[in-house]
Amino acid sequence: MKKDYLLVLIILVGLSAAALVTHWSDAQPRNTAAQFAEEPLYLNGAAMKRLTLAFNGVASDWYWIRSLQYVGRKIVTFEDSHDGRFNLNDLSVLDLRALPALLRMSTTLDPQFMEPYYYGAVILPDIDPAAAISLLHQGIAANPNQWRLYQHLGYIYWQRRDYEKASEVYAAGARLPGAPLWMTAISARMKAEGGSRGAAREMYRHLREVSNDEAVKDMVAKQITRLDSLDERDLISDALREYGAVSGRCASSWREVASTLRARGLRSDSSGAPLDPTGTPYRLTKNGCEVDLDEKSAVPKS
Amino acid sequence: MSARVYSMPMLSRTLPIARNAFREAVRDRVLYNLIIFALLLIAGAIFLGALSAGQEAKIIVDLGLSSILLFGVFIAIFVGVGLVYKEIERRTLYAILSKPVGRGEFLLGKYLGLCLTLLVNVLIMGVGLSLALVLVKRGFDPLVIRIWPAILLIYVELTILTGVALLFSSFSSPALSALLTFFVFTIGHFSADLKTLAQAMAGAPARWLFSGLYYLLPNLASYNIITPSAHGVLPDARPVILAIVYGLIYVCVLLAATTLIFRRRNLK
Repeated sequence: MKKDYLLVLIILVGLSAAALVTHWSDAQPRNTAAQFAEEPLYLNGAAMKRLTLAFNGVASDWYWIRSLQYVGRKIVTFEDSHDGRFNLNDLSVLDLRALPALLRMSTTLDPQFMEPYYYGAVILPDIDPAAAISLLHQGIAANPNQWRLYQHLGYIYWQRRDYEKASEVYAAGARLPGAPLWMTAISARMKAEGGSRGAAREMYRHLREVSNDEAVKDMVAKQITRLDSLDERDLISDALREYGAVSGRCASSWREVASTLRARGLRSDSSGAPLDPTGTPYRLTKNGCEVDLDEKSAVPKS
Repeated sequence: MSARVYSMPMLSRTLPIARNAFREAVRDRVLYNLIIFALLLIAGAIFLGALSAGQEAKIIVDLGLSSILLFGVFIAIFVGVGLVYKEIERRTLYAILSKPVGRGEFLLGKYLGLCLTLLVNVLIMGVGLSLALVLVKRGFDPLVIRIWPAILLIYVELTILTGVALLFSSFSSPALSALLTFFVFTIGHFSADLKTLAQAMAGAPARWLFSGLYYLLPNLASYNIITPSAHGVLPDARPVILAIVYGLIYVCVLLAATTLIFRRRNLK
């Protein structure tokens, strides 16, 4: 009986000591996790596929989850060191250098797994456009009937302002069974006016319609807000120019052009300052001759 | 039906051995792995949704089918290699063979008993996986049905592996048999590479060697349709039927070889 108490005591003391050592070890100033996160993958996808035998599906899922956690961890680290401010439209600040390899591994292990292709198409262009294009080409080779892969590839070319190529890719995707009619329309629009705001708005609208990823939807919503704001700033600039032409000087306050802006359908606050799509007033710049976003505005700058 | 079966002399001697092997496996708590499987699925269903960005159904199918295969492989290897050895060690084999039961019938009974254990195991896991999918998808989804061809092929693969384990255990120790069976399982999934290797070889003897290995070792890669199943892709009927026919032929060959070796074994 005495021996039992002693054993229980050893177990309890041992576990407490182990927990204390772990706690102490965690508190040490080192960043092994971050160091390992950036290490290149030792095996390529083809070798990994062989080694995983019949378990390549699970391995692919694991690399997919690891990709998401890798990006998530980078965002948390960035926000911790930048007062919680992170703009999803500028991923280059995150230094996601291991992401292309992780996504490629996931899709090589399971070439029919679509989410990593879609995710790569949205995230990678900011980091490594060539890797994004290569990933999408790999996806199309493995899934030649998936029109959404063509849509994403066209989107990447459009971002790179290669409207001719974007048009070709959309046209190729439009020929696939099940592809929506707008793929043909957007192909033509890319060719005719690829750089226009209207084309961009249409691209984002369709991207939002087909995406299941909340982060992508959020990014697209912000881009549409940016386009709305650009349209509004055009209207405001016109109003300011007209005011300047009539009065011979620039406006000293919003009150002077408030009625014109209201007549053009723009929302304004009590001081007459027009509001951007996120509800923040625009500010007058260059002595009242031009308009710009307020620094506090949530509208993306690019 | 059962009266007619029992009127057949061989089956009337084999089926009790099979039933006994099944009971023994249940008594040995082989089916306890179902609890681990259930916990794995529940944990997967609860936690993976948050981690996988909406891919929980695919991940649960991958995880579930891979677990069915992995647990099945462990059972086939570790129970399979002990089927004959334990009977010799406990000297119960002598009592069985003193009755009008042939060595081949004894082996067949043991084999069928373990196959029955695996069948129950795989069926319960398959139903568990289907229920997990209903839970994740919040109702019926075609994926619930579409995973079953993969489960069928996993079962056929396990019956081949059981045959391999039985073959090795008929002439070597359980530890070595387990190791050799695991090697066959591994090489069986590399069979496409063996063929490629044979084609790439310059010398004729090496080409024949690798071609021979390709055709002689079980081609287990054709039983792996887990990944397409996780995407809800139904396989064509022809390759599935061919894989089942191949499995049946291979099991017959394995049982014949095991009987041949076991008949010559000196049990004194």
